[in-house]
Amino acid sequence: MSKVVGIDLGTTNSLVAFVKDGAPVVIRDKSRDALVPSVVSASEDGTIFVGREAQRRLLTDSARTVYSVKRFMGKGIDDVRGEATLLPFRVGGEAGGVVKIGLGSREFTAPEISAFILRDLKHRAEAFFAEQGEIDNEVDRAVITVPAYFNDAQRTATRDAGRIAGLDVMRIINEPTAASLAYGLDKRHTGLIAVYDLGGGTFDISILRVEDGVFQVLSTGGDTHLGGDDIDLLLMHKVLAEVGWSQSAEKVQEIRKAVIQAKWDLSEREETLLNGRRFTRAEFEALIRPIVDRTLEPCRQALTDAGLDASQVDEIVLVGGSTRIPMVRRLVGELFGKTPHSDLNPDEVVALGAAVQADILSTGNREMLLLDVTPLSLGIETMGGVVSKIIMRNSTIPATGSETFTTGVDNQTAVDIHVLQGERELVVDNRSLARFRLRGIPPMPAGLARVQVQFQIDANGILSVTAHELRTDIEQTIEVKPSYGLTDDEVERMLLDSFEHAEADFAARLLIEERNEAESVIQATEKTLRGPGFAEIAQRDLAPGEQQRIESALAELKAVLGSDDRDLIHDKTHSLNDATRHLAEVAMNRSVQAALSGRNVNEM
Amino acid sequence: MCRDCGGGAPVDAHFCPQCTKILSIGRHGDYFSFLGLSRKLNVSSNDLEQRFRGLSRQFHPDYFFNATPTERRASLERSSYLNDAYRTLKNPVTRLEYLLQLEGFAARNPEEASKQVPPALLEEVFALNEELDEIRDMRAAGAAPEPLTARLERARGPIEAKRAAHEAQLEELFAKWDALLERGAPDAERRPVLESLRNRTLERNYINNLLAGIEREMATDV
Repeated sequence: MSKVVGIDLGTTNSLVAFVKDGAPVVIRDKSRDALVPSVVSASEDGTIFVGREAQRRLLTDSARTVYSVKRFMGKGIDDVRGEATLLPFRVGGEAGGVVKIGLGSREFTAPEISAFILRDLKHRAEAFFAEQGEIDNEVDRAVITVPAYFNDAQRTATRDAGRIAGLDVMRIINEPTAASLAYGLDKRHTGLIAVYDLGGGTFDISILRVEDGVFQVLSTGGDTHLGGDDIDLLLMHKVLAEVGWSQSAEKVQEIRKAVIQAKWDLSEREETLLNGRRFTRAEFEALIRPIVDRTLEPCRQALTDAGLDASQVDEIVLVGGSTRIPMVRRLVGELFGKTPHSDLNPDEVVALGAAVQADILSTGNREMLLLDVTPLSLGIETMGGVVSKIIMRNSTIPATGSETFTTGVDNQTAVDIHVLQGERELVVDNRSLARFRLRGIPPMPAGLARVQVQFQIDANGILSVTAHELRTDIEQTIEVKPSYGLTDDEVERMLLDSFEHAEADFAARLLIEERNEAESVIQATEKTLRGPGFAEIAQRDLAPGEQQRIESALAELKAVLGSDDRDLIHDKTHSLNDATRHLAEVAMNRSVQAALSGRNVNEM
Repeated sequence: MCRDCGGGAPVDAHFCPQCTKILSIGRHGDYFSFLGLSRKLNVSSNDLEQRFRGLSRQFHPDYFFNATPTERRASLERSSYLNDAYRTLKNPVTRLEYLLQLEGFAARNPEEASKQVPPALLEEVFALNEELDEIRDMRAAGAAPEPLTARLERARGPIEAKRAAHEAQLEELFAKWDALLERGAPDAERRPVLESLRNRTLERNYINNLLAGIEREMATDV
């Protein structure tokens, strides 16, 4: 039997998990790493890199490297103007069409870029199952998570990405809801739970009632454009204001890396170094306070929508890497009047929940049931550019709604319908989902035809539309033109393309990644060995013969670097790593001491 | 009728009594009977939640993922209908509107009805409109905003009182309706209660619109 997995396709990192003997586990690589950075890079010859290797290439070949692609899912070029500042990659596309992203010499849609990441996760899982000795290790079905506040176009784009990656997307589920599933496993929960999910690019709040194993979402809110990325951007602006704005793309990425490190540091410590200066947690908090404040209003709204007071919520669950920031925990705690808990790793909990849902769908396990809601109201355009709502937000899905249309002139055989999502009164303030033309209405005097259009939101939160004329009972044909999406034909073609191009040679790519890993270890070792401070280290800190052991491990790795044997390179890299572990510790301690005495590490 | 075995099934059965397959939703009763409830207006929210969860567990699409396309379709339709029923009956306002519609007492033209001043409110509406006109004139003449806001506050008082009185009347009518159902009273007794329920509803909607109007007026002052 082929395998089913749960995938958290994140803005910053992605993960894959599966259920083993009734419990979900994330799949890790050889170095026990579960996170695959959601970064895709193309080399000159068109080879595609994903994850850590692509992330490294951000510093050396940023123009050919794409990150945070999730921000562009289901978006039109008009939505993202101004977004592209400080991004190293090209963002373009035709007016009124989907965003196109430049990767090397080619252009891709956001679902295609996401598909590279999904395919990597698929391979990672397949390699893992093969290693476990599973005979059928193909991974062909998956549950993929999306932010609860994703609209129809963004959900559809995510499902398309899965299809392009060769996955049967069993279900799209919401990230906070997935997290609550993972939390509900070990304890037989009953009560009201608030899930606060601040990730790399998106923010969600969901309020759930858990009872009899049913996880029922009462309300949800959020912002699909608010997350750790925005914090990074603020810090980058701060540094760029100090060092000057005209920097190479690579330098900008170096700064990005440094500010992210500083952000992480400040979750553990009261101060750190940024751009060679002391940067305190207080300064950091003052800077990012407006971003964290923007998450609180959706929380209050979600409580109101659920008809609850903050004090009625029994538990608060934190999800997403950005909830490691102490101020986020503090402010969320204050809002709900109790300490949020995070027993599970906030980076992994969503993938675990997705795996549980995948297991429910594939095995028919009836222990638990997720009942989610649609985050945004669905409506249609009526006279004067006003929206008439058909399905209200926070309705439990699947949900239906219907509306009856008639003709305005005699013998009219078609009616145009514009479907929108959002809470505002006017068409222009809402998200355009699709335009339909209802055809085949039998000719009759104006106002006589009665065309009933039925809107169905399925358990994925994705819309479909059917219609029939009530007088003649004739089923109408509907042509769907998604406003910011791909047609089925386009998805089909991309799936074929991906087999021809990107799939080209997975083994070759792994080899290159292994070599790069080896090269970086060699480089680091040589830098220390040949550095000015080494003589002193060798004399004071190294054991007799230690330097020789390092030198010979180094020589052995260099000797096999050019070979095509990936495992051999891996083993020798491992040996060199082992041989230099002590040296690295010693060198690191010296750096730290130097930094503490006020000198910049880079000066060493 | 069951599409799978061709056997007959009662209107509100969810599964075929013969072959136990989930039934398509081609023919069904109403939201109340779907949930196994009588048409009483007072619904215990605990009871409703429990029925909703119980039925969700019976036919949610998650549990029919590997079933035949017909069953999957039936599960999607049945779950959607359940969710719509739950949403409508959970809220007393939509519950009452739904009952009136079922019993053939829905306002024939709700848009028109919402514009006509209910006779019982003529006095209050007349006074309020006079007050609002005066306030608008004063604002146009450049009066200070604070006293205007205070006047609006005062104008709201009698309308709020009316609303409270209506809530109490509705509560009484809810109990009356439920008692009639309980003892299986004939149509002749039910009709006047439904009539009153409809009128109180129209009046309440009108009152809510008035209050929203005052809110808007106060917002323009700020």
